[in-house]
Amino acid sequence: MSQQVLWEVVKGNNAFLVKRNGLTLSTDPFNNTGVQTYSSTGFISKNAVGVVPTQGKVNQINNINLVAKKSTKFQQADRKAKNTQSVYASTLAVKHGVHTASRVIRKRFGTSRLGLQKAALRKLVKLNRANAVRRRNEIAAAKAQKK
Amino acid sequence: MTSVPLVSVFSADDSTKVTAKHIPLPAVFQTPIRPDIVSFVHTNIAKNRRQAHAVNPQAGMQHSAESWGTGRAVARIPRVSGSGTHRSGQAAFGNQCRKGRMSLPIKVWRRWHRRVNIKQKRHAAATAVAATGIVPLVLARGHRISQVPQIPLVVEDKIESYEKTTDALNFLKRFGAFEDVQKVVSTKVVRAGISKQRGKKYRVRKGPLVVYFNENAKLLKAFRNVPGVEVVNVTRLNLLQLAPGGQLGRFVIWTQSAFAHLDKLFGTYRYASVLKDGYQLLRPLLTNPDLARIINSNQVQEKVQPAKTTKVLHEVQKKNPLKNTKAMDRLNPYAKKQRAAATAAIKANTKGTKKIKKNKALKKASRAAFNKVSAALNDATKAAVQEEQDIKVKYFSVQKGAAQAE
Repeated sequence: MSQQVLWEVVKGNNAFLVKRNGLTLSTDPFNNTGVQTYSSTGFISKNAVGVVPTQGKVNQINNINLVAKKSTKFQQADRKAKNTQSVYASTLAVKHGVHTASRVIRKRFGTSRLGLQKAALRKLVKLNRANAVRRRNEIAAAKAQKK
Repeated sequence: MTSVPLVSVFSADDSTKVTAKHIPLPAVFQTPIRPDIVSFVHTNIAKNRRQAHAVNPQAGMQHSAESWGTGRAVARIPRVSGSGTHRSGQAAFGNQCRKGRMSLPIKVWRRWHRRVNIKQKRHAAATAVAATGIVPLVLARGHRISQVPQIPLVVEDKIESYEKTTDALNFLKRFGAFEDVQKVVSTKVVRAGISKQRGKKYRVRKGPLVVYFNENAKLLKAFRNVPGVEVVNVTRLNLLQLAPGGQLGRFVIWTQSAFAHLDKLFGTYRYASVLKDGYQLLRPLLTNPDLARIINSNQVQEKVQPAKTTKVLHEVQKKNPLKNTKAMDRLNPYAKKQRAAATAAIKANTKGTKKIKKNKALKKASRAAFNKVSAALNDATKAAVQEEQDIKVKYFSVQKGAAQAE
C-alpha cells in the first residue's frame, strides 16, 4: 500500500501517536527519531529499520534488536526462519558490536534516504554506548560479589 | 492489476500447516481506502443504537408561579406563589433559576437515528474490509499482531465447529492472536464517569474479530467468553465492528468459507455483487497511488525540466564588510591584496621593529622598579602589622595583670 495513502489515514490517529507538551511523538518501533513525521514513520513505509532496545539476558553484551520492515503485500511469515519473524518485521539481534548492524542499516537506506539512515545509526550508537556502560557495571558488580 | 495477490489458508490445528496454498484475494481487499466515507458513515450509524431519553416534561414547572411585575424592586422572573415556606417568592421556571426547568428540555421525539444512503454504507463496509488486510493499518489501530502468520488471516472451517472455550483459546494462541487478547485483558479499566453506575462499569478494548459463514456454526459460544473477541457472520458484517470508533484496521480472522463468500457479497471489479443488488465496488481515483514512484519513473523524468539551482543573491544575515574580511572580499575582491600589501609594509618598516625592541627594554626596567617598590611596601606593611600586634599583646597582658591584682 502506498506510503502516502497510509499516511493520510494514520497521521491523525494511530496507536503509536503520543501528543505531549505540544509535541507530536511516536512510539513506533520503526521510527528512530521519536517524532512523528511522514518520512520517519517507518511502519507505513516499505523498507525501514528500527533500532529497538530489548529486555535481554543479563550477561548479553548488547540488548539491541534491529527490526527490519518487510514488504507486507500478503506475505506469509516464514516460521522456520532463524531470525524471529512476523508478518511485518524480521528481527536481528545485535550481539557483538555494531558493525554488522550498521551495514544492514546502510544497505537498507542506501544513498537516497540519508536522513533516516543517520537517525538509525545515531540511535544504534547511543544504545551501544548505553549497553557498554551497563556491561561495565555488571562486570564490576560480579567482581565485587566474588570478593 | 495483472497479478492477483494470493493468500494461504491455514490449518486450524497447526499454524505452520497450510491447507490451501494460494487462494486469490477477494476484490474487496483492493477497494481504495476511504477514511472519509468510513468516518462519515460511522458517526451516523453509531447513533442508531441510542435509546430515547428525556427530561421529565413537568420538571421545574410544577408551580403556580407568576411574575410580580414591575415596581417591586425585584427581577421580573416568575416567583412561587403562596406563603409559609422559604420557597415562596423564590424565582421559578427559568433555566437560570435554581430549581427551574432546563432551557430547551430534551424531548423523546428528538431525532436519535440517522439514515445513511445504502451505497455509502456498502462502500464504507468494503473499505473497512480492505483495511483489515493492510498490516500497517492493523498495527496503527493498536492490535498486537507480531506473531500472526499472515494478514489477512484465513483459517479452515474447522474452527466453526469449536464448542469449548479452551479450544478457542488454544486456537488463538496457536495463531499469535492471544497477544491481542492479553492486551484486552490487561487494559480493562473502570470507566470514568456516571456510566459505571448505569451498567457500563468497565471499558474494554476490542480484540480480534472472528468471521464465519455457516449459520449452524457453534463457534459463537466457544469464543464469546474470550475477552475482546467478537464473532460475526460474513453476511452481517458490521462497520461498527470492522472499524470501531471509525478507525480502520480491525484484526480479523476469517474462516475459509467466509473468505470465499466475500466475492459474492461485494462483487469484483468485473462483476457486480450478487447479494447486494446492483452494488459495484468503488474504483480508485489513482490506480497507482505511489506518488514517489510516479515522480521518479522514467516516463515522468524524461519530460521534466532539470532542477533549478537557486541563485543566492545575498546572505540571509547581513555581515559588516568593515569588520568581516570575507564579506569585504565578496564585495571588493581587491581588498585581499590591499590588506596583504598593508601588512607587508608594516613588516618592512624598520622603525617599527626598533620601537618594539625599545619597548621591551623599557618594560623590563619598569617591571624591576615596580618589584622594588612593591617589596618595600610589603616590608613596610609587615612591620606595621607586627607593631600593632606587639601593642595589643602589651595592652592585654597589662589588663590581665591588673585583673589578677584585683
